[in-house]
Amino acid sequence: MTQHTFKSARKRYQRVFWPLMGVYVVAVLGGSYYLSTLEVEPTWLKTVIAIAVTLPIVAALFAMLRYFDETDEYSRLFQLRSFATGAVITISAIFAVGFLQIFEVIGSVDVFWFGPLFFVCYGLAHRLTGGRDC
Amino acid sequence: MENSIRVLRAERGWSQATLADHLGVSRQSVNAIETGKYDPSLPLAFAIARIFEKSIEDIFSDQTLTKAAE
Repeated sequence: MTQHTFKSARKRYQRVFWPLMGVYVVAVLGGSYYLSTLEVEPTWLKTVIAIAVTLPIVAALFAMLRYFDETDEYSRLFQLRSFATGAVITISAIFAVGFLQIFEVIGSVDVFWFGPLFFVCYGLAHRLTGGRDC
Repeated sequence: MENSIRVLRAERGWSQATLADHLGVSRQSVNAIETGKYDPSLPLAFAIARIFEKSIEDIFSDQTLTKAAE
């Protein structure tokens, strides 16, 4: 197995992550624009675009997993704690919103927003606990 | 666990970033180990000892064990 240092792991992660985010933005904007130009939006095309937009996010998540494997032990602990904090808050929100819907307290909520919620919580947990360099 | 990394680093005129580069870890990792917020794994403790040309016991000391032995 290749021995990675903290710096090489971070470089490898950033070399993959930022281009993927670029692809994501282009896919979201391009896909939305293309659909808006059509008079009739075929379901198959909307499905293809939805999956195409999702793929960079999935790839970025796998890049994060690889970074957790390759970075140094303290940074790994730090990242995993922040990741877990984001997951705990997001899963709690999913259950709370889910039960509020089941008990008919609130109407429908777009499931999509739980994804950004997770990333915001993960990022905030990372920043607030001082993980600037990890 | 207490350690003398800060002293050994200062003797060599190294910054935390320099030691982090030698060890292949983040500067924050070095800071966490120095301040006792994080105890390194055995492989990392060996790497630290190798860099300072000391034994692990020369660098790290467990106060709880020391007090218990007394």
